[in-house]
Amino acid sequence: MTVLSPDATTPVEIRKKGGERLTIRWADGHESVYLARALRGRCPCAQCVSETTGARLVAEGHVRPDVAIAAARPIGNYALHFDWSDGHTTGIYGFDYLRRICPCAACAGADA
Amino acid sequence: MSAVTIREPQVLDALRSVMDPDLHRDIVSLGFIRNLVIEGDVVSFDVNLTTPACPVKDRLREQSRQAVLQGVPGVRDVRVTMTAEVRRPQAPDTSALKTVRNIVAVGSGKGGVGKSTVAANIAVGLARTGARVGLLDADIYGPSIPILMRAGRPAEPREHGIEPGEAYGVKLMSMGYLTPGDQPLIWRGPMAHKALQQSLLGVNWGELDYLIVDLPPGTGDVHLTLVQTVPVTGAVIVSTPQDVGLQISMKTLRMFQQTKVPVLGIVENMSTYVCPHCGGRDDLFGHGGARDAATSLGVPFLGEIPLDAAIRRYSDDGRPVILAEPESPSGAAFGAITGRLAQQVSIQAFKHIALTIVEE
Repeated sequence: MTVLSPDATTPVEIRKKGGERLTIRWADGHESVYLARALRGRCPCAQCVSETTGARLVAEGHVRPDVAIAAARPIGNYALHFDWSDGHTTGIYGFDYLRRICPCAACAGADA
Repeated sequence: MSAVTIREPQVLDALRSVMDPDLHRDIVSLGFIRNLVIEGDVVSFDVNLTTPACPVKDRLREQSRQAVLQGVPGVRDVRVTMTAEVRRPQAPDTSALKTVRNIVAVGSGKGGVGKSTVAANIAVGLARTGARVGLLDADIYGPSIPILMRAGRPAEPREHGIEPGEAYGVKLMSMGYLTPGDQPLIWRGPMAHKALQQSLLGVNWGELDYLIVDLPPGTGDVHLTLVQTVPVTGAVIVSTPQDVGLQISMKTLRMFQQTKVPVLGIVENMSTYVCPHCGGRDDLFGHGGARDAATSLGVPFLGEIPLDAAIRRYSDDGRPVILAEPESPSGAAFGAITGRLAQQVSIQAFKHIALTIVEE
């Protein structure tokens, strides 16, 4: 796993479009756009990722196509927390993690 | 056509016999009944559950139907619609800290390095310059700030939160106040979590320029709760010059870095010993280790505090040395450290971007 620079994992702007989309502009100028379902399907919590094997238990294909972000709030300086419309609330998405899962063409697969 | 008039209270009373099996309360007092409509002898309503995945949904539907059919005279038909609204756990209300400009955490890798002494002297030092300062003793294992600051208990919590104590111009709260007298705090993680949130958010801090938080040693529940509950401006790491102490301090430092809390600097405590008789210097625990570590990590070095019996004496007496003897070597060292810390806080406050999620 490559080491990300502090600027790459520091958000300068976080925008949400209703429940469907989240956009983060990072200090290094990059912009990441996350669609709700894809983001829900990458939830890093222990219910969605096996604590023992690290295998993903809940992926995008498992969640409802119309899943939406019911609420989003920052956790301290380092993460975002989401309440999902399907009732899931346990994921804390660190900015480091969010940058690593940036779905844009340039980033996708770069750190797989 | 029925001659009996059906009234809403009758329906609700009948529905009170239906219990939610998980929450152990009836569905009326839980507020699950919505949109109750009575049209002649037909009653319709929604049962609004806490999750659409409720495993007893069908059972609750049938129980509600039967309760009204059998419990209210004159009802011919009951139409139940099952709905769901997922209730979310409330995010902590951080409005109590809206008037606090900077939150500075003081941590260490291990206990006994003088973290609380440093926190107390920094707090008093900042207050002496005219700043408005609060000091939260979050060391659940050994809350020592009340001794170091010779502060009594604050007033009993009132309806609108706890009034902090005050000593030497610093507003005080200690997690030690949460238990009576000399009782230890024997807490599992969730209790420590709750207690910190209460001492952080349930206190009427008022307008503060700096809130210094004296953390327990290491990296535990209290640390995580702090960095998850509030945006911490930065952290100070207290270490002894000893390599062992220093290596452990690095873990605390990395925890702050991983949670994006800027490290404001490292303080080396119990540095050089100056003999009060001959003036000779002796580096009992080594010297300069913290400075070297700060340099190699690229974090500011805030200064070193000599091993000085006066610090212990004044601390036991409840008077921080920075106040009792500001011109002494240790008092002056604390003064210099306070200045450098304030400088680093200003730099961070300037760089810091408040995280808000804006709706587009």
